[in-house]
Amino acid sequence: MEFLRRAANPWNQDVWIGISWDLMWAAVIGGLAFLVLHAVIAWRTPKAESTAVAETGDPAIPDRILRHSAASRAFHWLMSVTMFVLLITAFFPLVGIRFAWVTIHWIAGIGLILTIVYHVVYATMKQDLWSMWIGAKELKEGTQEVVGFLKRSPPATSSKPGKYPIDHKLYHNTTAVITLAAIATGVLMMVRVDTPFWARNPYLLSDQMWGIVYVVHGLSGVALIATIMAHIYFAVRPEKWWITLSMINGFIGKKEYLAHHDPKRWVVTPGPGARGGGAAPPKVTGGAAQSPKAVPQDKQSDRLT
Amino acid sequence: MAVIRDMIPAFDLFQPTSIEDAIDLLDQYGDDSWVFAGGMDSFDWMKDRIKRPTAVVDLGNIPELKGITSSDDGLEIGAMTTLTEVASNSDVTSRFGLLSQAAGLVATPQIRNQGTLGGNLSQDTRCWYYRAGWPCYRAGGNICYASAPLAMNREHCIFGADRCVAVNPSDTATALIALDAKMVVHSSKGEREVDAEDYFIGPGIDITRMTVLETGDILTTIRIPGTWAGAQFYFEKVEDRKSWDFALVSVASALVVNNGRIERARIAVNGVAPYPMRLDAVEAAVTGKPQNEETAEAAGDIAIRGASPLRHNDYKLPLMKNLVRRALREQAP
Amino acid sequence: MATIGQDIAPPDLVAKVTGRAKFAEDFRAEGMVFAKLLLSPMPHARVRRVDASEALAMPGVLGILRAEEVPQVDAPREACLTDEPLYEGEPVLAIAAVDETTAADAIDRIKVDFEPLPFVLDPLESLRPNGPDARIGGNYFFRPRGSDIAEFRSHKWTDADFAAAGEGQMPMGEPRTEWSVGDLDAGFDQADLVLDETIVHQTLSHHPMEPRSCMAYWQNGKLYIHPSTQSTARTAVGIARSMDLDPDDVVLIGPYCGGGFGSKISGSPTMLIPAVMSRKIGRPVMMRINRYEETYIGRSRPGFQARVKIGFRNDGRVTALDLYIVEDGGAYGSGDFNTAGTVASLSYQPLAMRLRGVSLYTNTPPRSAQRGPGGAQIVGMLEPIIDKAARQLGIDRVAIRELNAPDNNGWLGPQQGRLTSAYVREALAMGKEIFGWEEKSRLSGQRNGTKAIGVGVGLSPFVGGSTGYDGLVVIRPDGKLYVHQGIGNLGTHSMADTARAAADVLGLPWDRVEVVWGDTSKHLPWSSNQSGSQTIHAHTRANHAAGIDARRKLQQIAALDWGGSPGDYVVGGGRVYHRSNRNQGMTFGRAARRAIQLRGKFSGYEMDDDLNAMTVASVQALAGQGLIGAAKDNYGREGSTWTFVVGFALVELDVETGQVDIKEYTAVADCGTVIHPRSLAAQIHGGGVQGFGIARSQRWVYDPQWGVAFAKRFYTARPPGILDVPLEMKWGAVGIPDPQTPVGAKGIGEPPVGAGSAAITSAIADALGGQCLCRTPLTLDVILAALEGREQPYGPLETHV
Repeated sequence: MEFLRRAANPWNQDVWIGISWDLMWAAVIGGLAFLVLHAVIAWRTPKAESTAVAETGDPAIPDRILRHSAASRAFHWLMSVTMFVLLITAFFPLVGIRFAWVTIHWIAGIGLILTIVYHVVYATMKQDLWSMWIGAKELKEGTQEVVGFLKRSPPATSSKPGKYPIDHKLYHNTTAVITLAAIATGVLMMVRVDTPFWARNPYLLSDQMWGIVYVVHGLSGVALIATIMAHIYFAVRPEKWWITLSMINGFIGKKEYLAHHDPKRWVVTPGPGARGGGAAPPKVTGGAAQSPKAVPQDKQSDRLT
Repeated sequence: MAVIRDMIPAFDLFQPTSIEDAIDLLDQYGDDSWVFAGGMDSFDWMKDRIKRPTAVVDLGNIPELKGITSSDDGLEIGAMTTLTEVASNSDVTSRFGLLSQAAGLVATPQIRNQGTLGGNLSQDTRCWYYRAGWPCYRAGGNICYASAPLAMNREHCIFGADRCVAVNPSDTATALIALDAKMVVHSSKGEREVDAEDYFIGPGIDITRMTVLETGDILTTIRIPGTWAGAQFYFEKVEDRKSWDFALVSVASALVVNNGRIERARIAVNGVAPYPMRLDAVEAAVTGKPQNEETAEAAGDIAIRGASPLRHNDYKLPLMKNLVRRALREQAP
Repeated sequence: MATIGQDIAPPDLVAKVTGRAKFAEDFRAEGMVFAKLLLSPMPHARVRRVDASEALAMPGVLGILRAEEVPQVDAPREACLTDEPLYEGEPVLAIAAVDETTAADAIDRIKVDFEPLPFVLDPLESLRPNGPDARIGGNYFFRPRGSDIAEFRSHKWTDADFAAAGEGQMPMGEPRTEWSVGDLDAGFDQADLVLDETIVHQTLSHHPMEPRSCMAYWQNGKLYIHPSTQSTARTAVGIARSMDLDPDDVVLIGPYCGGGFGSKISGSPTMLIPAVMSRKIGRPVMMRINRYEETYIGRSRPGFQARVKIGFRNDGRVTALDLYIVEDGGAYGSGDFNTAGTVASLSYQPLAMRLRGVSLYTNTPPRSAQRGPGGAQIVGMLEPIIDKAARQLGIDRVAIRELNAPDNNGWLGPQQGRLTSAYVREALAMGKEIFGWEEKSRLSGQRNGTKAIGVGVGLSPFVGGSTGYDGLVVIRPDGKLYVHQGIGNLGTHSMADTARAAADVLGLPWDRVEVVWGDTSKHLPWSSNQSGSQTIHAHTRANHAAGIDARRKLQQIAALDWGGSPGDYVVGGGRVYHRSNRNQGMTFGRAARRAIQLRGKFSGYEMDDDLNAMTVASVQALAGQGLIGAAKDNYGREGSTWTFVVGFALVELDVETGQVDIKEYTAVADCGTVIHPRSLAAQIHGGGVQGFGIARSQRWVYDPQWGVAFAKRFYTARPPGILDVPLEMKWGAVGIPDPQTPVGAKGIGEPPVGAGSAAITSAIADALGGQCLCRTPLTLDVILAALEGREQPYGPLETHV
């Protein structure tokens, strides 16, 4: 299998022109293999005893806990639409479904950039940026969890995460890096497309530099195929439905909260004006326990968002 | 590896005598195969060693691909019929003079003797960046050299650019679109018929091909229905020189005019887009209108709406506009 | 009956039309193998490393030739292979193999590591203060007369120079060459009308039908070579010099040449490749050049970017002409612009004139003379401007040319040199008559549907002859006259037609004349190059002198045998006889036998001591074979010999498409005595058609980013074809003999090109209502943009488009 597509430029110099599209199939196959493997192991693994704390939680904890604000959900779904459009316009023509894809692709790319800019601004202003930080302890726990999963014996002492479990954080951060690489290269590639705003100029960078840009864009594209396959897979797994549902309606139940989260790491208290019973949406905070900038515990509860 | 041009490397030559055998060969060799009609486009690619098929399938010995026959109220032309025959055949000249005119203006007498109708329709673009073997989009690369800021693109397109700005070079394509012809394509999956205008595809659909033909496909027959037989035809090819040239812009129109009123119209232009362009908007605008200067003027303006010229081909706008006007004017007897 | 003035088929005709004629690539030798070239992909580069191991390991591959193995030359000259290619397509190395396919496949497998170097395509870019230079070290070669300095230097203009030029005008910084005649300021002061125009003339490939293929082998230390060359004797001498061989050790056989137009005057640098390769591998080597390679190595006419300011008096007289030419000298330099200035001075005889010019190296293929070098460019560019003045001054366009044209007292160039003859007014008058100017010029601007009629006239002078070469004839015992010709066979028939001078001097009918040409082993005399429209002049003189020498010897032999003085004997009809008694004499055959017996000067054992060494060697080799006439052209000449051609054209310009259709063309030459009418017509018309291509369609296109050529095939370069030529073309010749040459003939090869080009640029301007677009080629996009009032497709100084 070739990894790169190369060509002789007009001066007969060897240049990269992109990744081999075999890598697209490699990503699909790799992604599928992961899903199958995971599904088989998960199926053969005995269900862990559910921790029976659900019923006895702190009465201050509301029945419904907001996991994703409307704004976050809007971002997620808008971004996923642009991402799908980008992937479809990028890869469907390669598998023989032919249509004029370039304009749709770059417009969707701009859409993606806008949603991500929104997300970054929102996360900076309204959310805790550090909530996606992965600390050493968490990493250790995560490793144990993976090892346990593979051995089909979840660690008994598994500690519970804050708002975002380590696998979510890893996924988020990996995808963020890949997406940003795709965006950065994609923005450069926009110079080579005629838009209403500028005429294309393929000579902004040297052939060799463009080769790198195309390879990075291609690699991030195929990587997104695999990561998104995994994302969808987990979203539809029955044991994760509660999370998937929260991306639709925003909330998780108190039971899930207590079962899957460490209330110390993700502190949930009713907001001012809460009349109990959880009728009004409580305010929640993302746990910052793993933040390297140690935030005093007492302050954490103030960090209501 | 160093570049060397104008020297054909060795290849295996197959000369099947039936369509089935030809298709079998194409399937057997897949992407290494090459369909060879008259060779007028093929030799260029092979001489320059840019396309290097290992199995060349010459259709010249398949009798069923040659000749012009009457069918129903129209004509069936084998794809391997030479352009000279298309230009001079009495059935074509008497009823579909538009096609004989177009075929008669292709290149030179020698090329018309050797070149075929199918080859003329299916030939690759003449963009010189692409034909120089540069790794452009059409060649599977990631760049269009012809639309770069200082590029030499006087021959390139004003419509339909999608990364690639090349134009379709065929003279007969517009005539067949105006005549509402159908292209019959054979492959191992059987036979399919494609409208002439759909036979040509733009770079948005597939940047590496000019037509619907994919590996393993053979254009076998061109069917011309009787619908436009004896209509008022106009063909014009504007070129830099009269001996052996490709059209800068060409136009073909078929009109049915009754009492000075255009009842039906089909018009197509080539040299302006990566595919021969049927001018639906013009057809709609002139249908039912009197055939006069006013209609022609308006049609010319409509024709170039939305055109976006490159650095050196702005002249194609007035040229196309004027040719469309001419195509709709009453012809001197 | 005299042969001069008759239509007589040349002796090469049957072989040509039957295909039996052998051109360079038709020669074969025992064990012959094939060479192919590796061309540079970059416009300027240095070869860092070559890995040919894979190629050389292929079965059938016999050897490689690198730049260091071929004859070395001093800068700025061109070697046949180079490790510092200066233009895309320059040959870097050659491979020999048992067949061409193997050689090509071997090239395919060579890895060359090229280091790209800065390059420049447009001389105006190179003139910018920080503009790139085509060579490491500069953009022109500095070698002042009488100095040891010989090096590349950089010539730049200042920002102020560029800023000083108006919108669309060519800037004019410091020139490299300048001359002037008369008081320019006074000239412009006298002017009632001053025109100031910026002009672009494209570079043009020569595109001969036969590419410069060559076959060579060695036998007993002698080099046998079959190049495609315009000249024979001079090319052989040149090869000997380049290969460091004694001229006797070069046998050049090339009796046919499929066109050269100045690109193969003494062959081409690449013809040495098979010679050196053959010496290296010990096999005869054929190097067939294909069309693709030919466009790179096949030479080209230098393009001009120019600015001209011309002052006219109310009556149309040119009072001042100020011409500034920036010339694209290509990879190895050129000086056409000097000739352009001389031609301009000659055409218009301005009261004052200045020429300034700068010719710069660029990274584009080598330039060379192309049929009317400098002249064809300048007349095609200036003639529509003269028309513009005529229109503004209300003068007939032929009349303004008649007014300014030179006559026998005309002058030219910085030294205000004199002419041997000039019958321009006679040519204009004859052209007006044949073309029907009075009636046609009234059609100017008329419309026929969408077609506008344009009528044009162009005057094109070019140098028409040299002097001082040798003639060599032998009357053999068979009674025939053998005229040995060292000039080549370019297809112009001059190798046959100039022999007529000797035939007529000897009063011999043509069927008893044999022309010996195209093979240096057949003992040829020292000759002019087959170029520069020299041969009809130089070699009617040389053969006339040789004929006179033979005649004198015939008379002397007759006097020896029959008594009396040589002056009593006349020569004619194949005999020499006493003026008062036809029977007192002998046939040429008998005279030849007597000459052999008499030895001495009669049969070549003695000869004049002013003959060139090459002629001496040939006479010595022929000694004893018959009566030998050998003489140098010592006929005097004062002034230089110039030929004038006037072209008249009627075109139809389609105002909706910009297409130009040449409907009628007439050209009339002042070329002195007409030697061969049919051949003269072919020259006048053929040159005219070449001019049509320059004016209308022929292109030379480069991608500015990569410096790579595109118009390198016939269909992209677009020289005119048969359908681009009017059905009927008329011609005439003034026919007044030049008084300073014995036969009266002046050369005709070159001036018809400018006449064709200028008649068309003038006619197109006329069809556009007097608008001079001041650019060639006038393709339909340029014309349509003007007609539709849209922006021009190219900038006013943009070149290589």
